[in-house]
Amino acid sequence: MIRPRARRIVGAVVAFGLTALAWEAFARSGSLPPAITPPLEAIAAALAGMIRDGTLFVHVGYTLARIGSGLALAALVGVPLGMLMGRVRSIERFVLPLVSVLSPIPSLAWVPLFILWFGLGNTASVALVFYAALFPLILNTWTGVCAVNRLWIRAAESMGAGSGAIFRHVVLPGALPFVIAGLRQAFARGWIAVVGGEMIAATRWGLGWVIFDSKEFLNTDVMLGSLAVIGLLGLGVERLVFAALERRTVERWGLVRGTSA
Amino acid sequence: MLGLMPPKLFPGVARIVTTFVRLNVDGVLPMHALGTLARLAAGFALGAVVGVTLGLVMGRSRWAEDVLLPLVSVGSPIPGLAYAPLFVIWFGLGNLPAVLLVGFAAAFPVAVNTWTGVRAVKAIWIRSAVAMGARERQIFRKVVLPGALPAVMTGLRLGLARAWRVLVAVEMLTAVPLGLGWLIFGAREFLATDVMLAGIAVIGLVGLGLEKLVFEPLERLTVVRWGMLAR
Repeated sequence: MIRPRARRIVGAVVAFGLTALAWEAFARSGSLPPAITPPLEAIAAALAGMIRDGTLFVHVGYTLARIGSGLALAALVGVPLGMLMGRVRSIERFVLPLVSVLSPIPSLAWVPLFILWFGLGNTASVALVFYAALFPLILNTWTGVCAVNRLWIRAAESMGAGSGAIFRHVVLPGALPFVIAGLRQAFARGWIAVVGGEMIAATRWGLGWVIFDSKEFLNTDVMLGSLAVIGLLGLGVERLVFAALERRTVERWGLVRGTSA
Repeated sequence: MLGLMPPKLFPGVARIVTTFVRLNVDGVLPMHALGTLARLAAGFALGAVVGVTLGLVMGRSRWAEDVLLPLVSVGSPIPGLAYAPLFVIWFGLGNLPAVLLVGFAAAFPVAVNTWTGVRAVKAIWIRSAVAMGARERQIFRKVVLPGALPAVMTGLRLGLARAWRVLVAVEMLTAVPLGLGWLIFGAREFLATDVMLAGIAVIGLVGLGLEKLVFEPLERLTVVRWGMLAR
């Protein structure tokens, strides 16, 4: 499984080098107008321009704020709901059918309706992220609570733990790997939702909006630059935030084996 | 109901159901659903073929893995929809960009899971096949392929779910002639919220149906029957 770091780096350099070369050859061959296939230096220049006048940071800030607030809201609602579903039978019976019907509906299908309900702008995008992130959180938390080893609970009971103590010291840590997995999925889904939502529902800022807006002016260099930023941000949050979160909590408590070994 | 919210924006359940039935009888909803499904089938087939091929190559050749894996892992977290405006510029409006984008988005999870599956095939199975005198081709067909199949199935499943999500959204952007996404988006112009909600219901039902009617039987017929997966 573990491959030498050097080999991986060389592989990545070759991969991106080859792709860049192929793109460059294609872009400069003149088979398509450069407005449609801008060469790499134009993309880099567009990105540099956006960084210099600061607009890139505003776009990134708006997008991150939208997905952050949507995710936070979804976590505030979804995690307690999932916990309750795992602990209380009647709530499980009531919520589960609703979740299984709503969860396969792609969040972006709601965009037009959310625009009518919440107007253009931030509310629609945040609501969209909330919708997209809610179901993976509920389902994973619920699974996590259900998957807590019965023996642990019984052992805690026989040692005289009250139900509050069992919840805090047994169920909560036991379900946590699933909750974090749920958060990860929620982020992946929310990331799609926020970019898609911004294309259709945002009015001025946001990475999705800037791509969509650049299409009107055929600024393919800006579009490709923003795409790269979206990809890097998504990968970065996934690798840095979630991997760190996992290391700090569940791996440290010995609930799952480290994947970064 | 209470008049707190304008019924134009929040139609009652009775109204949505009536619209749903009316649109089905008229044949409007089935027609749009068929358009979407045809596009999904074409795009997903493309993504599945490309994804499985990429995954197999990555799993069998170290060289291909070193070069392709970085590209796949950077490309995979970018939402497929983010490419939609670009695809529109490159391939025009209509069916072509929608199908290509769906295939593009679906290929990533398929490739990643196929790759994982091929690598998860136990080395001892391959060695015992070699010991019994199997050739490269036979090992691939009789050992690697069935061994990797459960993971490939997971990939196809994830790919289909992704394809479905991207397709609905991309239909809103590329102005396809018939499609559920387009139906919802078009209905917004007329404030026909009942039509929109009926369309969303169909999208949910089709999504559920794909999972229950396509993948579960497929899994039963292949990996469960071969004993690769306990069900």
